[in-house]
Amino acid sequence: MDSAELALYAALALYLVGSGGHICGIFTGKHRPNTFGGIASGAGFACHTVSLALRLFANPSLALASGEFYLSLFSWSLLLVLFVLWVRLKLSFLGLIATPLAFIILLGSLSVSSARLPLPPSLAGLFFGLHIGTLFCSLGLMAMAGAAGAAYIKLERRIKSKEKLNGVWAALPSLDKLDNANRLAVTFGFPLYTLGLLSGFIWAGLTWKRYFSWDPKEITAVFIWLLFAFLFHQRVALGWRGRKTAWLAIWVFGLSLASMLGINFFVKTHHSFA
Amino acid sequence: MQHDIHILGLNHRTADVDVRECFSLKEQVSFEECVHNLGKSVDELLVLSTCNRVEILVVAPLGSGAGEKVIRCWAESSGRSPSELAPHVYHRRGLEAVEHLFQVAAGLDSMVLGEPQILGQLKQAYKNAVDKGQTKVVVNRLLHKAFSTAKRVRTETGIGTSAVSISYAAVELAKHIFGEMADKKAMLIGAGEMAELAATHLVGAGVKSLSVVNRTYSRAEELAARFKGRPLAFAELIDRLPEVDIVISSTGSPEPIIRARDIKDVLKKRKYKPMFFIDIAVPRDIDPDINSLDNVYLYDIDDLKDVVEENKAQRATEAEKAREIIRSESEKFGLWLKSLDLQPTIVDLLGQGEALARKELRRTLKRLGPDCPQEVQAAVEKLALSLAHKLYHQPLQFLKRRSQEEDGGERFLDLARRMFDLDGEVVPPEAHLDRKPAAKE
Repeated sequence: MDSAELALYAALALYLVGSGGHICGIFTGKHRPNTFGGIASGAGFACHTVSLALRLFANPSLALASGEFYLSLFSWSLLLVLFVLWVRLKLSFLGLIATPLAFIILLGSLSVSSARLPLPPSLAGLFFGLHIGTLFCSLGLMAMAGAAGAAYIKLERRIKSKEKLNGVWAALPSLDKLDNANRLAVTFGFPLYTLGLLSGFIWAGLTWKRYFSWDPKEITAVFIWLLFAFLFHQRVALGWRGRKTAWLAIWVFGLSLASMLGINFFVKTHHSFA
Repeated sequence: MQHDIHILGLNHRTADVDVRECFSLKEQVSFEECVHNLGKSVDELLVLSTCNRVEILVVAPLGSGAGEKVIRCWAESSGRSPSELAPHVYHRRGLEAVEHLFQVAAGLDSMVLGEPQILGQLKQAYKNAVDKGQTKVVVNRLLHKAFSTAKRVRTETGIGTSAVSISYAAVELAKHIFGEMADKKAMLIGAGEMAELAATHLVGAGVKSLSVVNRTYSRAEELAARFKGRPLAFAELIDRLPEVDIVISSTGSPEPIIRARDIKDVLKKRKYKPMFFIDIAVPRDIDPDINSLDNVYLYDIDDLKDVVEENKAQRATEAEKAREIIRSESEKFGLWLKSLDLQPTIVDLLGQGEALARKELRRTLKRLGPDCPQEVQAAVEKLALSLAHKLYHQPLQFLKRRSQEEDGGERFLDLARRMFDLDGEVVPPEAHLDRKPAAKE
C-alpha cells in the first residue's frame, strides 16, 4: 500500500468516525459529539487532500487520465461544497449529511476503480471528469435538499399537530433555515446536474460517436432531470416554499440514489460499477 | 475569632404580598444604619430586595446573637414591631444558609422554577453592597461561588431551557418556525395585558418591527409608543397582514376577526412566506381552520397552556439534578470556610516566626560588626527568615489537614495557639499541677 492509498483509507476511517459523531450529536442534542464529528470530518478532508495531491504529483498524466482519480477528486470537491454551505448557513445539522455522504461516495469511488473505462482520447477525459464531478456534486446537493426536506416535513408536522418539541426536535434548525438549505441546494444543484448530463452526452458522442443510446441509466437521468427542472422552476420562478418543495426534493434525491445504487450496481449498462 | 453566616428572609411562600410590601426594605438606608450601629455584632452585610422576596445575608461572630438584632433593625426600619415580622421570617445559618443562597441564585427558590431574573437582581444587590463597603472576604467568596454555581446549574441541567409562561412559549415556538427574529415583523391585535406581555417577549427576542391594532385607536397608540411600534386602525387589519410574520391576537371580540378565506389571499400576496398566529383570546379571535393551510401555524391559549404545563413538569425533574449540584458546591464552600478559621493562626504563627528571626538577625549582625559585607548580611537575613518559615511548615500542614475534619480541627487550633503562645496568655503556675510528678530516680 503506497502513501496515497494510506491517506485515502485514513480519510475513509475519519469520515466514518465523523459520521458517528454527528449522528450521536443530533440524537443526544449535545454539542460535544457534533464538534468531535466536525473535527474528524475536517481531518478526513485533510487526508483526502493529501491522497489526491500525492497521486497527482506522483504521475500527473496517469492521474489525469484515470476515472478513479476524477471520482476521488470530485467526491472531495463535493465535500468542499458541503463544507462551504455548512459554514455559510451556520447549520451544524448539515454535517450530519455531508460526512456520511462523503464516506459513501469515497467508498463508491474505490469500487469504481475496478471498472474498465475507455479513456482517453484527450478531450474525452475532460468531459468524463466534468460529467462525473458535476453529477456527484449535484447528488451531494440533492442529498442536502432531501435531508433538509425530510427534517422540514417532520418538524412542520410536529408544529402543526402541536406536539412537544424536545430532544432531537429542539436541536433541529428552524423551518425557515431548513427551507433555506433546500432552496440553496436546488438553486446550485440543478445547473450542476444539467451540466453533468450535457457533458455526459458530449463525452458519449466523442467516445462512442453516439450522444444518446437509450441506456436505462440515461433514460432515468433524463426523467430525474425533468423532475428536478420542475422543482427548480417552481422554487426559483414561482417562489414555492415549504412542504411541497421539501417533498419534491426528497423525490429527486430518492430517485437519484435509487438510480445510482440500483442501476449502476445491478443493471447491465455502460454505467455499470460492477 | 470564628464567624457564622446567617440568612434572614421572607418570600412568596412565607409571607403574603401585603406583608412583603410592608417589609420590602426598598429604602435600605435606615436599616443599614441600624445594622451599622450594631458595631462588632455584624461583620458583613448584603441585602436583596425584590417584589417576591427579601434576603438579608449577614456574617457575624459566633454567639453574637446577630439574627435577633437584624430582625429588630429590619422591623424598626419598616416602622413595625419585631413580633409582627418574626413569624414570617426564616433564619438559616452556616451551610444551610450557603445552600439557600445557592438555590436562590439558581432560581430554585423562585415562584417560577428556574427563572433567570433573580440572578441579575442578586448580582445588583452584591454590587450595591460592595460599593457601600459592606462586604469582606466571606461574602465576596460566597457570592462569587453562588454566581458560578448558578451558571453550572444552567449549563448542566435543562432547568432554564423550556418556556413556562404562555407568551414566552409563544415566542419560543416562533423561533422554531423562523429561527432568527431580527428580520421578522410582528402584529398585536388587541391591547390588553396579555398582548402587552407578549409584546415584551417579542421585542426581547429582537423582532424587526411591531404594529398594534386595536378597536380604540388611542389605546393602540399608547401601547405602540411603549414598544416603539406603529399603531394601526382596526379597519386596516386585513390589508396589513401580508406584511407581518407573527400575529398575536387577544381581543374581547365574541366572533373570529380573522377567517381562513382572508388568509388564503394574504398568503398569495406574501408568496407563501410562513405566518405564525397566536390566539390568546377567549373566545377565539382566529378561525382554527387556518392551521390546515400550508405555511400557516396557529396556536391558541389551550395549546400553549399544554406546552407550559409539560415544561413545568420537566423543570421539576431538572430541579432535582440542580439540587445535587448545589449540595456538592455548598459542601466545597463549607471546606473553604473551615480553612478560613485557620487563616489568623497561620498569620500569627508566621508573624511570630518572622519576629523571632528578625530579633536574632539583629543580634547576629551586631556581632558581625559594621564592616560585614552587604552580601553576607543579605545571605544571613535570607537564612534566618527561610529557617523560620520552614520550621513552621510542618505544624501548619498538620493544622490544614485537621481543619478539613468535621469540627474544623478546632481543638488542634486551640492547642497550637496555646503551645506557641499566640494569644499572649500568661500560663498560670498551677497549670501543670494535674500532671503526675516525675518519678524520682
